[in-house]
Amino acid sequence: MSDVKDIEQHILRIAQIVIDELRLEDVTQETFDPDLDLVDELGIDSMDLATVALVLQDEYGVSIDEDDYPKLKTLRLIAEYIRTRLQEKAA
Amino acid sequence: MTNRTAPADKTEGKWKFGDLLRDARVRDRWEKVRKYFFLRESTYDMTNRCNIRCDGCYYYEGEKQFAPENRDPGSWRDLMRQEKERGITYVVLAGAEPSLVPELLETCFEIMPLGSIATNGFRLIPPAVGYKIHISVWGNDETSRRVRNAANLLERQLDNYDGDPRAVFVYTFTRQNVHEVGEVAERIAARNGKLTFNVFSAPVGYEGPLRHDRSSLLLTRRAMLETMERYPESVLFSSYNVAAHTHGQGLHALYGCSYPRRNASTDIGLGRSFRQYRADLTWDRSAACCVPDTDCDDCRHYAAGSAVVTARLFRHAADPDTFRSWLDYVDTYLSVWVMGYEKGENLCDRLVDPPGFSVE
Repeated sequence: MSDVKDIEQHILRIAQIVIDELRLEDVTQETFDPDLDLVDELGIDSMDLATVALVLQDEYGVSIDEDDYPKLKTLRLIAEYIRTRLQEKAA
Repeated sequence: MTNRTAPADKTEGKWKFGDLLRDARVRDRWEKVRKYFFLRESTYDMTNRCNIRCDGCYYYEGEKQFAPENRDPGSWRDLMRQEKERGITYVVLAGAEPSLVPELLETCFEIMPLGSIATNGFRLIPPAVGYKIHISVWGNDETSRRVRNAANLLERQLDNYDGDPRAVFVYTFTRQNVHEVGEVAERIAARNGKLTFNVFSAPVGYEGPLRHDRSSLLLTRRAMLETMERYPESVLFSSYNVAAHTHGQGLHALYGCSYPRRNASTDIGLGRSFRQYRADLTWDRSAACCVPDTDCDDCRHYAAGSAVVTARLFRHAADPDTFRSWLDYVDTYLSVWVMGYEKGENLCDRLVDPPGFSVE
């Protein structure tokens, strides 16, 4: 799979996790802007982000460091972070 | 009560979050507490006056005590609206003594429906103010007379808040009053009152007789556990509250304090949103924490823990007992701070290690 396709797949799956965990009603996997700032524009806080991170860990089998939360600001950044962790794990 | 079966599927040696939620009681409690993840607090000094003067008082330390009072309800109304606008959903009305300005409390409540008030309980706060009311208790009546210069204080507090669902009595354990908690709890329980625990956390520079040492913390731990066992209907606390607040290390060392004073990050969480307003409605990020002018190394304050321990969900989702303990802690915090929230039965009754530390 190409890098772009790989990231797009991750974004869709991560979007669904965020929608499910935060009970978002006005957005779908497909309409979720991958570059929307989850903190500034969606208003999610640290507890929500921690919940999402725990579910992502389960989903992808990688660990997410608490100190990295500030990096997880958009779906795209989360997807890139996950992909990097998966590559590190496979190396 | 506890389940120590091996994880069905591990992620790098850790339990999966989904596995921790497999137990129905745990999942129900998780769903119960997560409804309140929207709470975002700030704190507000309402006056620079108090009707009693206590040894070791936080308010009369540092610069905030010199802020002139703003007693204009319109200014407070505007502030509350601005706070709401920037995402604050919960207010803590504190120093020096909020009951002296009931009109301002009512103004805040009109705009912000969720919050709590820290009071010495000497004066009744009008029933129209529907916040939780935390009434400070520093020992029996003899001790109150000596340390707080107030006679028959507990009786007065109990009379003022008899049968009041807003009221939670907050017993602050100092080095000197550990042995008094039994008689105080008995009196509160006899009136069907609710009681939670605080641990005296020294203001900066305080070296007086109330400051804890290792021995008094261990005595406090034992007294807390005994009182919880004796008055389960009255005491709002859990084993993990005991472990976290009587540890030799303070909260900052154990968990890393999230308040701006010790947290430079403005990315997310308390470091981004929390403000501590003085009586003149100004604030200073460098001094902002829930109990300003506390010696951070000695901070075991119940209010600080409510935010700092709760915020550490991620590291507590490590194994069943640690996660249950964290849920107990959050359940306790919500029952103490949120009107209408009922505490459930604790899920873990043993003293669990704070992540990365031994409970000792």
